[in-house]
Amino acid sequence: MILKTIHTDSIKGFRQAWSDNTDDGFHPNAAIIFSSVDLGLRELVDFLETKNVSVFGCSSCGEFLYDSQDQIITDGGLVCLMMTLIPGSFEIKLFNGNVKPSFNLGNEIGKWAGEVFKKPAILVLGSGLDTDGEQLVKGIQHHTGNEIRMFGGLAGDDARFKETFVFSGKTLENNGAIALVLNTDLYEINGIATSGWVSIGADKIITHSEGNVVYTIDDQPALDVYKDYLNVRDTDLPEIGVEYPLLIKKPDSRDILRAVINVDTAKKSLIFAGTVPNGAVVTFSSSPGFEIIEDTRQKVNQFYNQNSETDMLILFSCMARHNALGPTISEEINEAWQNWAKPLIGFFTYGEIGNNYTAACDFHNETFTMVSLKQKTDVA
Amino acid sequence: MSHKFLSLIEDLSKIQNPEDFAGRLGSVIDELKKFNSEYDKLLFKYERSSKEKNILSSLLIRTSADLKKVSDKLKIRAEELSTLLTTIPAYVYFKDTSLKYMIVNQPFAEMAGIPADQITGKTIYDIFPGYKNTAYLDKEAYSIESGFALYDIEEEIEHTGRKRWVNSNIAPIRNSENQIIGLIGISWDITERKLHEEELRLSKELAEAGTIAKNEFIASISHEFRTPMNGILGLSEILKHSVLTHEQLDLLNGIISSAENLLVLLNDVLDFSAIEAGKMEMDYQPFMLDRVMEDISLVMKMKAAEKSLAYNICIAENVPNLLIGDSQRFRQIMINLTNNAVKFTEKGKIEVHISQLEQSGNRTNLRFEVLDTGSGIPPESLDSLFKVFSRVKQDRSKLISGTGLGLSICKKLTDLMGGQIGVESTLGKGSLFWFILPFTLSNIQKNKSQIAQSFETSSFSKKLVLVAEDNLINQRIVSYQLTKMGFEVDLAEDGQQALEKYHARKFDLIILDIQMPVMNGYQVAKAIRTDEKGTSRHLAIIALTANAMKGDRELYLDAGMDGYVSKPFTFETLQQTIISVLH
Repeated sequence: MILKTIHTDSIKGFRQAWSDNTDDGFHPNAAIIFSSVDLGLRELVDFLETKNVSVFGCSSCGEFLYDSQDQIITDGGLVCLMMTLIPGSFEIKLFNGNVKPSFNLGNEIGKWAGEVFKKPAILVLGSGLDTDGEQLVKGIQHHTGNEIRMFGGLAGDDARFKETFVFSGKTLENNGAIALVLNTDLYEINGIATSGWVSIGADKIITHSEGNVVYTIDDQPALDVYKDYLNVRDTDLPEIGVEYPLLIKKPDSRDILRAVINVDTAKKSLIFAGTVPNGAVVTFSSSPGFEIIEDTRQKVNQFYNQNSETDMLILFSCMARHNALGPTISEEINEAWQNWAKPLIGFFTYGEIGNNYTAACDFHNETFTMVSLKQKTDVA
Repeated sequence: MSHKFLSLIEDLSKIQNPEDFAGRLGSVIDELKKFNSEYDKLLFKYERSSKEKNILSSLLIRTSADLKKVSDKLKIRAEELSTLLTTIPAYVYFKDTSLKYMIVNQPFAEMAGIPADQITGKTIYDIFPGYKNTAYLDKEAYSIESGFALYDIEEEIEHTGRKRWVNSNIAPIRNSENQIIGLIGISWDITERKLHEEELRLSKELAEAGTIAKNEFIASISHEFRTPMNGILGLSEILKHSVLTHEQLDLLNGIISSAENLLVLLNDVLDFSAIEAGKMEMDYQPFMLDRVMEDISLVMKMKAAEKSLAYNICIAENVPNLLIGDSQRFRQIMINLTNNAVKFTEKGKIEVHISQLEQSGNRTNLRFEVLDTGSGIPPESLDSLFKVFSRVKQDRSKLISGTGLGLSICKKLTDLMGGQIGVESTLGKGSLFWFILPFTLSNIQKNKSQIAQSFETSSFSKKLVLVAEDNLINQRIVSYQLTKMGFEVDLAEDGQQALEKYHARKFDLIILDIQMPVMNGYQVAKAIRTDEKGTSRHLAIIALTANAMKGDRELYLDAGMDGYVSKPFTFETLQQTIISVLH
């Protein structure tokens, strides 16, 4: 597997870098690209269409690229990992979001993945602020089963919460999903998802919700509760709300965080990145401060000890972590890169998808979700 | 960092050679970048802290208020639970897995006589020093081991000089991970209940003894009634054969009718008490069904005719005639049902149908039906009709007397004989009483004509009979009846006198009352049979008895008697018995 990287702050710069990287006869057959919406994604896709390359990309809320040359975290930039994957070992497909609800979209992806490979692993990115990440995951698992290795995230738009995109080498889609499916006979994929957010205060009950839209909490309008408890204005949401997600208590102790990604001021409702069931017992939650970096560091080292060889790393980190940790976020990303010293690409998301070790895949918020991808040696 | 940076700047200022300066400047720039990065982080942390302060403080204030509310609710809940635990009128305790008390409620502590907080950590043996059993602890250990709750464990414990019975329910307690961490026990003091149960047991025994005594008394008193009843009926019969005016005859018929009714009541009471006391046993002997039915018809046809009712008997052709069964009890049931039919029918007819349901080997089941065109029985009364003292609540109950025992006795008799009894009725149209009895087929070839012939050809003229009877009224009745049959009668007032007369004269027949002074009937009979021993002589002896219980017949026969007649008896009964004994 040959890998080359690009980081830039313009499409013009991207064209140049692409040209520079392929001057020596390097012909990538796949690329992972995370880009700010400000750079002109239409122009980017038009350019990529001329390069006959399969692209797995989405808009972001900040991007990062770590390799031996540079270790960069950007806002409003673009990062790209150019790859030569084994022909026939992968496929990328963009799915139109007109297939609603999110479960059905996931169902379509799961069905396709099962048709492409007998034992697939899936990387998936979703766009659209109404997309329910949990239903997307459940839809995929409906076809593949819970055991499938699956990682990904929901696209961002630099914390504007207006419009997010996924794109292939040909198409740009503001309401859909793109999936990269890999043959696990040829690639080994592992990952972790860690949060560090802690529960605050007493239990509350979701008294009216539909899917990922919450109307009332303890019989009070959900938006009023958030504004009152966080002492913020309408305009501060959803950005501030992302950092103070609801922690949904589950009987099996696998508590899940759900971040606000949109608000409906008319209905005084909140739209979360994933399902918040009616009747769910929830609490507010918050990052406990900069010590979560140490927590992540320990989890990353633990993961490295069990999985020390990889060709590349992909990181889906919640934009709330970036907000909460600021420039210190580099410390937890750096920890990952330094362990393996292999190219690491990623972006700040509106939601993460991943297996934690060998557990079933879940949709998360506020997590540091990292994937290691390794081509199996015997097929190199 | 800043110290290192300043040191580099200081070194830089001392460099004279421009080439060295350029090289050192690179290091300074690297340090400056690091410094800048650290500065950015510190600045972010500072700004972040300021920005977050408002949100977090608001969140903490709000959620603290929530927690306070929750805490207040929990406190109230805890107080409620504590009150519940304290005031619940039972001994409540929690034990750990080593069966040591963790928490007990106030009633438990009061019963133990030890403050609740001092019971924690102690075992049952610490709390109740006199307690020696292991059974209860074994059950607790089983509950913890198996995870099962156990109920109604009763045990008597003695503590502080007082014995008490307790009933306990125990159940294992589990933690959030479903592991058993101890058990809860709830016990009640059931000492009062136990005492009450003992009282009830004694009362029941007394009541049962009382019932037995009552039944024996009724049986005894009924027996005592029979002798004067025999006198009334016998003398009335004698009187009836004397010259009377119409008015006197009417009055005498009234006396006889009342006495007969009283006799029915007495018989019912006697039968019922015998059944209740478990002393009613069936006496299975060969008999002829048509003969019994003819006897019943003779009486019933007359009774029916008095009310202008038709009375018909229909016996199916396949019904066997020679049967083994208790003919007396069968007769009693049939008479009771036909008598009722006549009583409760004002116009129309009474029909008796007999059919064979099935025959297998020498066993047969016969169905007897008594149909009437009477007033019928309301449906709500049908179920209770065969119960004790049940009377149909209708106008007719006011008109017709009875104990209410008749049908109940019929039911019990059919049960005793392994049969069934029932009724179907339509108000205003009539009733159908039926019963089914099993019989054994008899192989004794004896027919009605033979019996009838012997009956008709009998003649007692100039035969000498000795009547031994201490009751002068009965003596007179028997003498009258025997004389009417053609006998020459000699009398004895007790057993001794009877034996003396036996030795003095040659009698054809002796009729012995059983209960007589000096020598009773058994003794006289045995003495006569002893005297006859070694000779060809056999004097016919008939017992007169007020007893009518099963087993009496065997007693008389064992004593050497040839037959017996129960008081009160009719002329026909006595005559029939004499015929059977002398032929």
